[in-house]
Amino acid sequence: MALHVKVGLIGALDMLKFKNLAKTRREAIEALPERPLPKTFETNEKAAFMHPKQQQVRIKAMRPNGPDAVTVTLQSLDGNALAPFRAGQYISISVDADNSTTTRSYSLCGSPARSWEGEYDITVKRVEDDGFVSKFIQDKWKPGVVIGISAPQGHLYYEPLRDEKKVLALAGGSGITPFMGMAYAILYGYEDFDLTILYGSRKEEDILYRQELDAVAASCPKVHVVHVLSDEKKKGFEHGFLSAELIKKYAAGEPYTIFMCGPQAMYNFLDGVVAELGLDRKHVRRELFGMIKDPWNQPGYPKGAQAQSFIAKVTIHDKTYTIPVSSSESLLTAFDRAGLRTPSRCRSGECGWCRSRLISGDVFIPEITDGRREADKEFGYIHPCSTFPLSDVVVEVPGQYQHL
Amino acid sequence: MPKYDAVVIGAGNGGLAAACRLAKAGKKTLLIEQHNLPGGVASSFRRGRFEFETALHELCEFGSAENPGNCRKTVVDEFGLDINWYQVPDNFRVITVASDGKTPIDATLPSGRENFINKMEEYVPGCRESVTKFFDLGAETLEAGNYLTASGGKPDSNVMKEKYPNYLRTAAYPVNRVFKALKMPPLAQDIMNTYWGYLGVDADHLSFVQYVNMVCLYVNHGAWIPEKTSNELTTGLAERFREMGGTMWLNCRAEEILFDDHDRLCGVRTTSGVVDTRWVLCNASPTMVYANMIPERLIPYKDKKLLPNRPFSARMFVVYMGLNKSAEELGMHDYSYFLPSSADSVKEYESLKSIETDKFNIALCYNVVNPKASPEGTCIVSLTTTYTSDCWSRVDPKDYIRTKEKVASGMIDWFEEKTGIVIRPYIEEIEIATPWTFCHYASVPEGAAYGYELRDWDSMMPRMMMMREEYPIKGLKFVGASSIRGDGFNSAIFSGDTMAKLMIGEMREEGM
Repeated sequence: MALHVKVGLIGALDMLKFKNLAKTRREAIEALPERPLPKTFETNEKAAFMHPKQQQVRIKAMRPNGPDAVTVTLQSLDGNALAPFRAGQYISISVDADNSTTTRSYSLCGSPARSWEGEYDITVKRVEDDGFVSKFIQDKWKPGVVIGISAPQGHLYYEPLRDEKKVLALAGGSGITPFMGMAYAILYGYEDFDLTILYGSRKEEDILYRQELDAVAASCPKVHVVHVLSDEKKKGFEHGFLSAELIKKYAAGEPYTIFMCGPQAMYNFLDGVVAELGLDRKHVRRELFGMIKDPWNQPGYPKGAQAQSFIAKVTIHDKTYTIPVSSSESLLTAFDRAGLRTPSRCRSGECGWCRSRLISGDVFIPEITDGRREADKEFGYIHPCSTFPLSDVVVEVPGQYQHL
Repeated sequence: MPKYDAVVIGAGNGGLAAACRLAKAGKKTLLIEQHNLPGGVASSFRRGRFEFETALHELCEFGSAENPGNCRKTVVDEFGLDINWYQVPDNFRVITVASDGKTPIDATLPSGRENFINKMEEYVPGCRESVTKFFDLGAETLEAGNYLTASGGKPDSNVMKEKYPNYLRTAAYPVNRVFKALKMPPLAQDIMNTYWGYLGVDADHLSFVQYVNMVCLYVNHGAWIPEKTSNELTTGLAERFREMGGTMWLNCRAEEILFDDHDRLCGVRTTSGVVDTRWVLCNASPTMVYANMIPERLIPYKDKKLLPNRPFSARMFVVYMGLNKSAEELGMHDYSYFLPSSADSVKEYESLKSIETDKFNIALCYNVVNPKASPEGTCIVSLTTTYTSDCWSRVDPKDYIRTKEKVASGMIDWFEEKTGIVIRPYIEEIEIATPWTFCHYASVPEGAAYGYELRDWDSMMPRMMMMREEYPIKGLKFVGASSIRGDGFNSAIFSGDTMAKLMIGEMREEGM
């Protein structure tokens, strides 16, 4: 039987209704009141406040905070709040010197309350293997200097839907900074979990944040600090490395999640510890690995490929640059050296902010910092911060609209 | 100054389709995107050992190589996208309470017309005739739609009357009115209404034509997903665009559309400088573009009335989870679970207006369809809800984290309660996207990724019928979810392709 559907009593009228759909819409629009078009929306404004494209801040103060370390207070230019963060997150900063440009990430080490006061705190330890950055910051930054910084980034924060109530934080050297933020967050009621920081230093004199840490621990029953010294035995300190025994001792039989932050050597060491403890990945969270500086030690790096010089042709929209690159350095390092100001944030292969297209050439990407999306691998995309050239390369890089 | 035949602003599904169509026609085309990768909401992100699909549940209108839908014909056959796809075996499972407030519903509907109808008869004995009529009507509607598109919105009314009379008689009505006319039993109506959330308007206000179209496309062609998330579709389309001669600038924001002394479009000012062009296709919200990127005197009279009064559609909230157990270990055997608090879409639409009352939840487990969705022994589950008002505008930024955690936690509880499947202890990675997140990544007003509400007189059909007069500024057209056919990947791709074709026609009239 042929289909015959009608909704109204008289089908012919329904047909007319169809014919008039456009007319009805025209008339409905005509009947609307003319009003000014909204230029923005409250939801979008709030989203922009949470996730600004970039932030301008003034250096308010710099104070020494342990050996070779300086804590820098950054302040919004207008006194208004800065973008809020979750304790443990970091900001990227941009540094220019001698025709070079680069970015670095520093954990926010104050309480989340600080952003609402229009301020952030970061701690910069002078190190030799980070290019010129920490030295530059300590020597050239002064109160009053204005710098550009990113919105808060990163995923090393307490997540109640995922993490155990008890967190064991394993920190090495300046890796203490995100946990300082977490300790303050617990103290001031922004977070609710039990934080035990196992803080590894060589000697007592190398401990950063000593007084602040001990003060927070003394006034907050949910924060515990255990100093672990590798190079000296002292009363009141644990001795040795951050071992499985030590972790078990402070876990005290309760379920726990491990957060770790420190140098690459510490992560490599702790991989073995985690395996020994039989922890699954859900219970182990690590801060950014950092840029690999010895690709030749990574599995898969071709023999004898080290320290070869090549040329990269880099296209950024309608401009093309030809720059020298080396098989021992990441492409991003070469871009920085050439002063290209390409987008970059985590510098660990993870965040994808520097995602670029490799048009031609051979490259090496260490597995440990290969954070690319699967389809990006298929279509020849790379993260220059974890890509090492093995020949001349041609690369197309996103624009500079959002550098950080 | 760089000069292009056409500039496409925004590389979402609509922008990518438009850019591919223009490039394929030999137009020198520049595609600009403010984010550092293409796709808009059609993308992916990584956390730990998981890669999460950002938005796609089921690609509609795609189909197999043997039985291709229009979307496959466009992106695969015409644009040459060559990637792996998986077909979703069942259309959906719905667990809820019927409109009568007491009858429990737990129905799993397979794809394929006959399978679907047989299953419906099993759940609601006696509904076969009305459901069959629904699909017959759907078939006629699809044919009519193809004819309307082919006629460029200028159909011959005799052809329409002769070939598509049932379509003509139902096209002006909302879903619920037609269901009644089909004498569909109330319980069958409830189950058949399940997909309403994909279009964001309840069945009293949702155009029947648009709905029957979508359901039939899903049922006839099945639902599909790319193997490597939407990023494979959108980055893949971007690659095809470049291979066809197009240029793409990522991390570049369009700031102003420029007009000459005769008010003729003459360029785009971007964060990478001014680009010379006379043709612009926008994959951005017309409301935002008119208010911020063109001189006020050029805003069309109609849009001064329409746009400030036009409600936005579904505002998204998604909980993405990487679980450290496989789907089998969890006992998750279905791909998509629709878990509204009631099958009464009108009631449900009302409850989605506030954060407190919203219970609607669509759960997906990608691994049920795609074994490569995550590492062995793990699976990915996402929970999605939408809001039918701008309620997230009232959240204080100081309460933001707490609010989103609370909503996500409630959704996890709801999922576990309705399905009996426990997931909470196995969360290895979790990320929560709120309407604010969609504002941030896709620059959509209010976080409404669906564009404008497809309600009553502003539904697909009247929008399509006014296609040629919709954007009166010469040289400027809009594509994507805010455009003629509304939301959905397939509809965004359709709008991009269709608007680009119209533009190519207009270029030809100018001797290009």
